[in-house]
Amino acid sequence: MADYDVIIIGGGINGLACAAYLAKAGLKTLVLEARGQCGTHCDTSEPGIPGFLHNLHATWLISAVSPAMTDLELEKFGLEWRATRYAFGKTFADGTNVLIGNNPADTLVNWQKHSQADAALIEKALAFMLPRMADLMEAMHTWIYTAPALEKERALGALFEDFLRSLGLAARFEDLLKMNGFEILDLMYQSEHIKTTIQALSWLAGFPPIHPRVGTLGAAVFGNFTGPLFPVHTAKGGSHGLTHALVKAALSYGVTILPCCPVKRILVRNNTAEAVVLSEDAVYPNEIFTARRIVSNLTVVPTFIRLVGEEHLPVDLARRIKGFCYDNQNIIVVNYALDQAPQFRSAGFDPGIQKTFMGYFGGDTTRSMQGIMQGIHRKTIHDEIIVNWYVPTLADPSQAPAGCHVVNTWLDVPPEPTAWKGAALTAGFEVWDKLKYTLADEIDGAWERHAPGFTGHIKERIIYSPLDQFRNNPSAVLGTWAGGSMIPEQFYENRPVPGVLKGGGSRTFIDKLYLSNSVHVFGNTLLSSGYMTACEVAEDAGVRDQSWWQAKAFNWYVENAARIPAAGKE
Amino acid sequence: MKKQNYDVVIIGAGPNGLICAAYLARTGLKTALLERRHETGGGLDTLEFGGFKFNPHAVYHLMAEVMPAFSDLNLKSRGLRYIFPEVQAAYLTEDMPPLILYHDPLKTIAHISRRFSAREGEKYACMYADFKAYSEKILMPLTYVPPIPAMDQFLLLEKSGDETGRRFNAIAELTPLEILNHYDFQEPLKAALLNLFTMWGLSPVEAIGYLFPLYVFRMTNAALCVGGSHRLSSALHKSVVQAGGTILDTSEVVRVKTAGGKAVGVVLADGSEIDAKAVVSTLDPKQSFLDFFGKDELPEHVVESARRWNWEKITFFGVHAALREMPRYRAAATETDAGRAMITFLGIRDTDQLLDHLEELENGKLPGELLGHITCASCFDRLQAFEDCHTGRWECLVPFDCDWEHIKDDYAAQCLATWRRYAPNLEPLHTLAYPPTYIEKKLKNMVRGSFKHGAYLPLQMGYFRPNDACSRTYTPLEGYYVCGASVYPGGMILGGGGYIGANIIAEDFGVKKTWEEPEMIKRAREAGFISK
Repeated sequence: MADYDVIIIGGGINGLACAAYLAKAGLKTLVLEARGQCGTHCDTSEPGIPGFLHNLHATWLISAVSPAMTDLELEKFGLEWRATRYAFGKTFADGTNVLIGNNPADTLVNWQKHSQADAALIEKALAFMLPRMADLMEAMHTWIYTAPALEKERALGALFEDFLRSLGLAARFEDLLKMNGFEILDLMYQSEHIKTTIQALSWLAGFPPIHPRVGTLGAAVFGNFTGPLFPVHTAKGGSHGLTHALVKAALSYGVTILPCCPVKRILVRNNTAEAVVLSEDAVYPNEIFTARRIVSNLTVVPTFIRLVGEEHLPVDLARRIKGFCYDNQNIIVVNYALDQAPQFRSAGFDPGIQKTFMGYFGGDTTRSMQGIMQGIHRKTIHDEIIVNWYVPTLADPSQAPAGCHVVNTWLDVPPEPTAWKGAALTAGFEVWDKLKYTLADEIDGAWERHAPGFTGHIKERIIYSPLDQFRNNPSAVLGTWAGGSMIPEQFYENRPVPGVLKGGGSRTFIDKLYLSNSVHVFGNTLLSSGYMTACEVAEDAGVRDQSWWQAKAFNWYVENAARIPAAGKE
Repeated sequence: MKKQNYDVVIIGAGPNGLICAAYLARTGLKTALLERRHETGGGLDTLEFGGFKFNPHAVYHLMAEVMPAFSDLNLKSRGLRYIFPEVQAAYLTEDMPPLILYHDPLKTIAHISRRFSAREGEKYACMYADFKAYSEKILMPLTYVPPIPAMDQFLLLEKSGDETGRRFNAIAELTPLEILNHYDFQEPLKAALLNLFTMWGLSPVEAIGYLFPLYVFRMTNAALCVGGSHRLSSALHKSVVQAGGTILDTSEVVRVKTAGGKAVGVVLADGSEIDAKAVVSTLDPKQSFLDFFGKDELPEHVVESARRWNWEKITFFGVHAALREMPRYRAAATETDAGRAMITFLGIRDTDQLLDHLEELENGKLPGELLGHITCASCFDRLQAFEDCHTGRWECLVPFDCDWEHIKDDYAAQCLATWRRYAPNLEPLHTLAYPPTYIEKKLKNMVRGSFKHGAYLPLQMGYFRPNDACSRTYTPLEGYYVCGASVYPGGMILGGGGYIGANIIAEDFGVKKTWEEPEMIKRAREAGFISK
């Protein structure tokens, strides 16, 4: 007799969502979290002046498209979304900006200032998409929330082919997948500013445009549809508000959540996962819990090399797992406490930038965007500061004292840099404890150029390096925010590495063991891997058939978008 | 805005609010707990940053497993575990041998006998036995029942068949300093024991000496919460949700609604309203009795007591450090245990020095000498720092009125320099200076950094906390209750206010309690220390 039907290792948002689904479906479910707080990558913290809430990890929350909104009734557990009128803005050295509105009409007005042809493309896109919304949503649901399969991707591709055809571009999806994100954007757009804006969106959505297929899909899907289809939200009270709702939902549906319980082993016998053993430091030292099924929300290397143990892995597979790449989605984050919102220089061009809580600066040309991405592969820190930024307090003033603001700035870096500005760096990953301060100074300077007066309004600066992020969560090897690099070899059906998954999106080659991190899509706030894992565990346990478990992705968002408060919307 | 309706609405999700909510939700009352901040727990705050846990507010839990909530709410099964470090306190100076207080009193007695004399060890044994009896038989049970007027309490103790009551009465009117003089300790032992009380900003010369035995007894039996202080609030949070209670964060209350001379609900900062049959405030008197009400809604004497409320004069300055390795104290070279204390006190030499120090603080001056104490929770709890690293917390008493905004970093550097004189290997990866202004900024109850929601003065303690009309949870306004740290028995994570509040509210609603009176209270009733 097992202690639990399901044990979930890791109480991040995907682990919590998965647990809530399974408990609601009647399974006796335990979540073990190593840290004190659940929601490690969906965190809101006051590490400095109280009242300034810093979202140390995920800041762009996109969970409103998840089926969990409906199935788990997350609003009932206190979740409230907040937005700004514009979803994304890129501000340029020439004093202009490119804005993407939640309402395409806003985008159109801004883009007309850059390129009539590109603006016209928005209208054509709308004309194409609006009658096909149901198909598009279905294809997206299938691609994002179900196990990878090439025919599913093909269905999405068919829609995209039709879309391009409506623009007068004849291109086969198979050919497009051989391109990278830069190339597909060259096909579609004329304005360099608009192209780099979509490159930036694709990249920060986890799909570096530099890669074939990964970048193509990223640019085509996330780059093009952020705003109307992929919302940019913060939760009331900060990112941890999503965690809070998931914790309360999970508890209410009967999940047992135990924080401060690092797992040291997954016990495997006859290639079947049977139990977990807590570490000697855990709140219940060395405790063993048995379960019918075990889900790991740790990334692939800690799951198999550390918890399962190499002795249970085929030699070849162990080698491939150890080669899993973690060094492509790593950031240094500089968080500012400010006594006023950044005043962008480009507000003179379009004041909408002041009503945009997520954006980007630097990388004004495709060439320079390619430069920073190539630098990451060469393990060098790019000279030009190219960052994405968030001002969540524009959407939700409760995240700072009255009149004040917080700003998070993300700079993509190679986690083990070997050079910066022509000088060699030799300390490897350890370099960050010192380098982070110098790099943060550079980021201050870049802010000052794009938002004059910025540095005079800084009350405090909280720096969070890839090393800090790793120490905070050792499952995020090298501080990865995505559960491992998004590169073609680790993408979609190849994720995490061939041979780990068997028959689905989370079932592994070890019987009764499911992997819910480092898998498709990747670590983000779509709640997709948690959803997918819940579906597969429930199917295998024979409890998938539930009257309440019917929602599709995007349903909740499309139905409720209009009532989500968006600052700056008349 | 959708109108919400509850039996009980509790304002403030600190330890008392959480405890009160958890007990009441278990009776079946429809309970909502409202919190202004994005996070619940109040002073039970653990900041997780870059692999290090910092506890900027409460850290040593005096009542740990003793508080009724621990067993009644099954907190052990909800992820709560306490560690009782063997070496509770080490007093280090730069030129005297260390003085060590152990969890096991026999070890302390042996140490004192060796360090001073057998006679001194006997005195400690005698004091410890007295203080243990006063605490276990009287002070701890009384912490969890509503207060009665001091004279009534005195008479109960006096008339009891257990002579502990009369013995306690004999010292209860004394000041802490007078009690210590009674036992006639040598220096620096006398200063060290006094400090276990004054380290909380409590006066050595006010007539609140009746609390002194409890502090000495509990501060030598203090515990750290595994994973940090927030684990206690997290376990309580689960108790509330799993009992069907609703917790709403980022929900600031600005008004208590009244109708027909009764409290009937609350108004939130965003204008939404929640109706309730009972409203409970766990906040400070200013918010509870002034801000939440219009003119004439509460009797004048209650309003007046809130206007005259005295905040604490002395508050804390903290420095939280992420350390590459655990501090290695010079003193540990000769006495190993001096290097492995839960709390390491630096620089305390004798009582006169301590009294001078406290006088400077009372007068609002930044003390000339830094007398800090340090806790490295990660030495006992590996969950509080990454791998072989450590987390260290410096704390010292300071006045509130300083230009903290400008001096905090320099002051933190001085604190670290002082600490480094004792532990030369101190090498922080990063630090967080936590001036008293941050206490007030984070927790609105703690006006002027008053971490106990108001000074412990004779007229603000016992039956008078927060005033003689409200110290038993109910107030002159029907349906309105108070049970935070500004109410009997006070702050310090005793878990008293919320427990007493839940008992009284459950009785007023006439619902069946799902819990039994703790054994220690039953025993105190049998002895006659608490009226039957």
